Amino acid sequence: MASLSIGAFYNPHLGAELVRGDGIDHLAMADPPAPGDPHWPAIRARHTLLLHDYLGQLSEPLDERSIERARTLAELYRTPWVAEHFQCLHTVDGTYNLNYVFPPLYTEDFLERFVRNATALKARLDQPLVMENIPGFFDVQASQLPEPVWLRRFFDATETGFLLDLPHVWLEAHYRAVNPERWLAGFPLDRVVELHVAGVEEDRDLGGPWIAPAEPSDEMLGFLAHAVTQCPQAKAVTFDAFSPSLTAEALFRSVERIRAAL
Amino acid sequence: MSDRALQDDVIRALADAPYRESAAWRARRLADPDRVERFARFLARHFYYERVVHFFKYSRALARVTGRGPEAVLTRPGFEALVPTIVLGSRQTAQAVAQLVVTHVGGAGPVIPYLADLLRYEAAMMVVEAGPRIWRDGPERKDEGVGSAEWSAPEKVEGTVLLELAYDLPLVLPQLLRPWSDVPQAPARSTTLLVARSPHGRVAVARSTAAVAALLRLADGRKTLAQLALDAGLEVRELEQTLHGLVELGAVRFSTGS
Repeated sequence: MASLSIGAFYNPHLGAELVRGDGIDHLAMADPPAPGDPHWPAIRARHTLLLHDYLGQLSEPLDERSIERARTLAELYRTPWVAEHFQCLHTVDGTYNLNYVFPPLYTEDFLERFVRNATALKARLDQPLVMENIPGFFDVQASQLPEPVWLRRFFDATETGFLLDLPHVWLEAHYRAVNPERWLAGFPLDRVVELHVAGVEEDRDLGGPWIAPAEPSDEMLGFLAHAVTQCPQAKAVTFDAFSPSLTAEALFRSVERIRAAL
Repeated sequence: MSDRALQDDVIRALADAPYRESAAWRARRLADPDRVERFARFLARHFYYERVVHFFKYSRALARVTGRGPEAVLTRPGFEALVPTIVLGSRQTAQAVAQLVVTHVGGAGPVIPYLADLLRYEAAMMVVEAGPRIWRDGPERKDEGVGSAEWSAPEKVEGTVLLELAYDLPLVLPQLLRPWSDVPQAPARSTTLLVARSPHGRVAVARSTAAVAALLRLADGRKTLAQLALDAGLEVRELEQTLHGLVELGAVRFSTGS
């Protein structure tokens, strides 16, 4: 395995620190830079940037406006790959929208939809497409395939890359009461290009842990170290925290601990 | 039912609390009801946290003076009481959540002269943003430009708001988001603002004029451009220019004549 790039998300409120700081190999971009962001020129000049915006949900084909937006951002960032999520969060008629990542039903029909639409998007991009797994808090009875099997078939059909979000896998294992490493073993790890790692925190509505812009625990870093050994094509690990509440100390310390864990 | 329709049903159940309680949803037995309820509550708090922080950002910047952060309402009893009625993204729920913020922050008292206007402005932004939207353009989407033969009857878009304010808020808003020691003041000057939303969900604000106010009052989707010009007392050229601006903002759309 080539040496891994270790990075974080670009948090604009930490722009000054990210311009000056050391130890960050890349920055993932969740939003386009704000027009008045004084740090953006230096950030762009200094860092490798990964496009990780919301482009659209691939249960439907992306429209021309969304594809052009993706192409423009990819060119602006000079991104080595473009990321999107396995998500289906708004209804076809636009009436209901969860405003939060939510997985599709793992069915043959949705597999065919995602394969078709991801293949079409991939053909319009000048960079490889990678797709990120999304956690489910509950199973939907209508799903026909286990998520890892559905993902394996998707990646085999599209030959896109896998952005493996480890806390998402860890959370699913937690709520299924199974060992995280055993749950992870079923995923198509040979397709992984990038890994996300972050902390989890107790959520009072869920009555258990969930994704949070927090530092990864030692347990999560151990899980990362294990996962990386199973991902021979991995090129990057990103500290997945994007929030105005995130401090520079927490970001730099997390990246440092990720590097040390690997 | 197709898989896509089933997915929409799950999304609706998570977004729409009354539907979640309905016999129709419960009879489907698609998922563990307790897990669905917990995730729906989580989503509701997340959904309105993002909107309150975004739309009430000026009140948030004033929290060190008012002592009341807008997002605090999301963990207070008022929000808990709303949960059984919440429909994510609906105008009614946006109105109810915004009112919680207005009551909470407005309860700080007369510490800032324009606070009541500011809260009305921010609440209007949040309510106008709500409602169904277009997530992706279909190949059949057509340009809705003024002057097209197919489009002849301008109509005010539902939800578009004209705000009558006692203070000239647009002058003070940018200052509130920059560092300040003394609270920036807004000139006491009667101001009318138009708040509208594009079909894709972009909220826009513009200063309103008498012509804009007249057009919004008269544009009912039935009057032709010539009738509107006559009723509003405008030259056709002025009418078309004003309409063009209103279409760009999302305040007016054109109905087909059929």
